[in-house]
Amino acid sequence: MSVIRCEALGVRLGGREVLREVSLDLSARTIALIGDNGSGKSTFARVLAGLVRRTGGDLRVRGLDPDRDPAALRSKVALVLSNPDAQIMMPTVAEDVALSLRAARLPRAERDARVAAALVRFGLDGLSDRPAHDLSGGQKQLLALCGAFVREPALVIADEPTAFLDGRNARRVADHLLADSGHALVLVTHDLALARRCERAVLMADGEVAASGASSEVVDAYEGALAC
Amino acid sequence: MLSLYVPATGWLHRMPAGPKLAMLAVVAVAVAALPSTWVTAVVLLVPVVLYAGSGMRFGRGLSALAEATWGLRWVIVVTAAGQLLFLGLEPAVANTSRVVAALLVAGLVPVSTTVSALLDALERGLSPVTRFGVDPGRAALLLTLTITTIPVLARLAADVRDAQRARGLRPSLLRGALPLLVSALHYADDLGEGLAARGIR
Repeated sequence: MSVIRCEALGVRLGGREVLREVSLDLSARTIALIGDNGSGKSTFARVLAGLVRRTGGDLRVRGLDPDRDPAALRSKVALVLSNPDAQIMMPTVAEDVALSLRAARLPRAERDARVAAALVRFGLDGLSDRPAHDLSGGQKQLLALCGAFVREPALVIADEPTAFLDGRNARRVADHLLADSGHALVLVTHDLALARRCERAVLMADGEVAASGASSEVVDAYEGALAC
Repeated sequence: MLSLYVPATGWLHRMPAGPKLAMLAVVAVAVAALPSTWVTAVVLLVPVVLYAGSGMRFGRGLSALAEATWGLRWVIVVTAAGQLLFLGLEPAVANTSRVVAALLVAGLVPVSTTVSALLDALERGLSPVTRFGVDPGRAALLLTLTITTIPVLARLAADVRDAQRARGLRPSLLRGALPLLVSALHYADDLGEGLAARGIR
């Protein structure tokens, strides 16, 4: 099944055409979205996550139409933002991770077990009772990832998740995102080395798809264009 | 989100959130229902006893009480001044004492209850509203976010004051209102997107 399939997708925001005639059929496990600022990458990611409604064309994310079946989409898709502070809702680390499972209405024992396992996986188990907003930037982004992955989503959409991180933390976050744990990944990034680690890449320019294919080829083409 | 929770293992902290909410509500209502006489001022002993005897360390309990009272300083000033102006000294002392005692007793809830426990208790308590088409989970989350957002707004206000000082201005309520409003709206946007990003609508 395709991860993303769209045909002539268009989005207008505030009277401006932000995405135009976007047509893609991608079934790779890891997909990078690259391009200049304002090229439409983040808007495209938000359309995929169901946060922004399309104004034209057709779209399927993991076989679901985000506009017609938002509840099913929410249960399968997790979004990670560049600023983890926007995603941290609860006072302590463990409570914040547990918040992601409230909608699933799991028995408390199962909820606690899944939270504990996720904290261990992301190396946050020693910080479970710490105030979430006292964590370092890298730890906060790991917490945001933990909150996303604890739901065991089929697709993770990450919008510049390493933008505010130092090299070491960026690497840790990227490793978690790219690890094969049964999820597909759509990664919006300006980090071209990170984009190369994805299987496929899509280059966006002025709200349109400028190139799509194997990540090394697309990134090479983008770097070539930047050198001109 | 910021929490007022003070970690401890005393009886009040161990008490389930639902019965605790009910008990403190009864105490707060009883305190508020007393008549307006000089004797009523002794109700201020109720929060002192509860904070000091809640099972937090004695000093930590009194420190939490002092913090909560300081947070109510403007409520105390405005209530007392209004009552004094229109009703006289005795009702002013009695009524202000009742209001402050009730608020301080209510303040024990976030001090002794984790946000998760509060969320669970509210969700259970609100379950009867399901018959009116209201989702208790969403209503509980809304209430909890509202409670935990109050300290965030206080922090935003402090940031605005710091920004004014950094630019050589004296902190001013008038000049600070617009930046505070913009910061609060920006925070609300972030919160909404963060909730949506986590699959919560």
